[in-house]
Amino acid sequence: MSAPPRLTLALPKGRVMEQSLEVLRAAGLRLDTGGGARALRYDAGDATIIEMRNADVPTYVELGVADAGVVGKDVLLESGSQLVEPVDLGFAACRLSLIRPRGATGTVQRVASKYPRLTGDYLRRVGSGAEVVKLSGNVELACVSGLADAVVDVVQTGATLVANDLEEVDVLLRSSARFVVNRAALKLKHETLRPLIEALRGLPGSF
Amino acid sequence: MSFNPPDGTRYVLPDAAARRALVVGTLRDLYRAWGYDMVEVPALERYDASHPRQAQSFKLSDRDSGVLALRSDFTPALAQLVRAEHPAVANGARRPLRWQYSGTVWHAIDPELARTREFSQIGLELIGVSNARADAEILHLARESVRAVGLQPRLEVGNPGFVRALLDAAAVPDDRRDGLADAIDRKDRRDLADLLSATPGGATPDAERARQSLLAVPDLYGGIEVLEHARAVAPWSAAQREIDRLAGVLAEFEDASELMLDLAMARRLSYYTGVTFRAYTPDYGQPLLGGGRYDGALLPAAAGFSIGVERLLQATLARAAAPEPAPRVLALDDPAARVLRDAGVRVVRALHTTTEEALAEARDLRVPFLLVAGALARVEGVAADDDERVALTALLLGADAAGGAA
Repeated sequence: MSAPPRLTLALPKGRVMEQSLEVLRAAGLRLDTGGGARALRYDAGDATIIEMRNADVPTYVELGVADAGVVGKDVLLESGSQLVEPVDLGFAACRLSLIRPRGATGTVQRVASKYPRLTGDYLRRVGSGAEVVKLSGNVELACVSGLADAVVDVVQTGATLVANDLEEVDVLLRSSARFVVNRAALKLKHETLRPLIEALRGLPGSF
Repeated sequence: MSFNPPDGTRYVLPDAAARRALVVGTLRDLYRAWGYDMVEVPALERYDASHPRQAQSFKLSDRDSGVLALRSDFTPALAQLVRAEHPAVANGARRPLRWQYSGTVWHAIDPELARTREFSQIGLELIGVSNARADAEILHLARESVRAVGLQPRLEVGNPGFVRALLDAAAVPDDRRDGLADAIDRKDRRDLADLLSATPGGATPDAERARQSLLAVPDLYGGIEVLEHARAVAPWSAAQREIDRLAGVLAEFEDASELMLDLAMARRLSYYTGVTFRAYTPDYGQPLLGGGRYDGALLPAAAGFSIGVERLLQATLARAAAPEPAPRVLALDDPAARVLRDAGVRVVRALHTTTEEALAEARDLRVPFLLVAGALARVEGVAADDDERVALTALLLGADAAGGAA
């Protein structure tokens, strides 16, 4: 029998990367990532790992450059990518929320967000005619500085909101890290992916 | 004035155009050999609000107050052709029509994520018959299409009828079906569980059990063993019938090793009614073709598939492809040129009339031979070996000899 096909995994830089490696190892992959500075793309034993910004993970997986990856449900929905998402890994849990200055009333006119698609969908759903401004950096600043009268952003603990005298007025969705798979890879590398998916699901915190 | 074509369209240069013609020709021959006749349909269509892709079609205004649409999909156009030319089949007569098509379609979308707005499709439809043997024929041809262009096929095969039967058994209201089917298709059990718990219905123990079964559907993928798992998961007779249909299709394959089942395939649930499939090839992360059975959607009985020609070319590009050979002969002698062309040699007609000017023209074109007065002259400074000259001369003489004998 030939060796099971090898995977290429797209993982986001930063803390989610470390957590992803942890669950992938717990699911039985031997991943030797070495120490210190790493190349953007490297061979880590049982898989090749490519590191990128989280918003790019859906693109790499959808186009099949990576067979699978880990990305937040919020980022995945914003991307509009059609991927197979067989495991909710449970970590990186957060809410995507509409945030306003504490005590603000009156009609929202302009909403700033790193999630323009989801923000637009939400505003249409609630029947608001507010305009959406796409930002890439610190979105709370838009509210504090008066660029926008509301923002849609990720809330984890809420500490940033309190520090800036902001409050969460509505929750758009709840997010957590998902194990995502390219549709072709699921069929072409079935022998490797199916056992990995089942092992990931069996981990505490996963679904 | 920009020299670039509009967004989402592109120029195709000689090497790529030659490869495209070769691939399209190979597939046309394959379908022809299986009895599929070529048909053509207009690229300009009357705008129709009920067209499955109307939201993404380019609209044009006609001279009068009518609205036209650029062809966005071949299947509805072929269905119109059936209604116009074969009304009995359009009304349910069982008579097979085997048709193939190829051409351009246009989608008015944002040309993002490696998609273009103008692209080519080739495909086929088997209309007027609905049974497992017809489904298998389409699947066979989908697999052969990938093989014919030198790629190794892997097909995923599903049956949205199975998901529909379970949604019926679970008494899921119509307005919740698309959301659930989408979660099943993405194998997203988290979304699926959340959506199911927010879905009204499920009052009877049987409906409640069907809801539990729906949660198991995302994992019903793999080899032939999936059919048995599905039978155990979904004991309702309508669901069993859909499994039987899939089993009947697989029984038509002496070697089903390139087929993988996935009963979670549930996209376009209201369109596809029976077996659906996509084809993949190793080291290429996008589907090469997709299709299935859509009885009742546009015609009483029809199934087919379409291939994205650009995708297929991209996938074959991963293998080394021979570039289009450059022309080897420039001709001042038309009758002799015809002899060589008839033998398959690429011969360019000289734009000049004197031998001296034509030799210079050949040098500019990097063509090694000038055909003048029935003989080949070497063009200095352009590489060619003597064997080639001998071979070309033999072709010219062979025609003479045959002519002399006649």
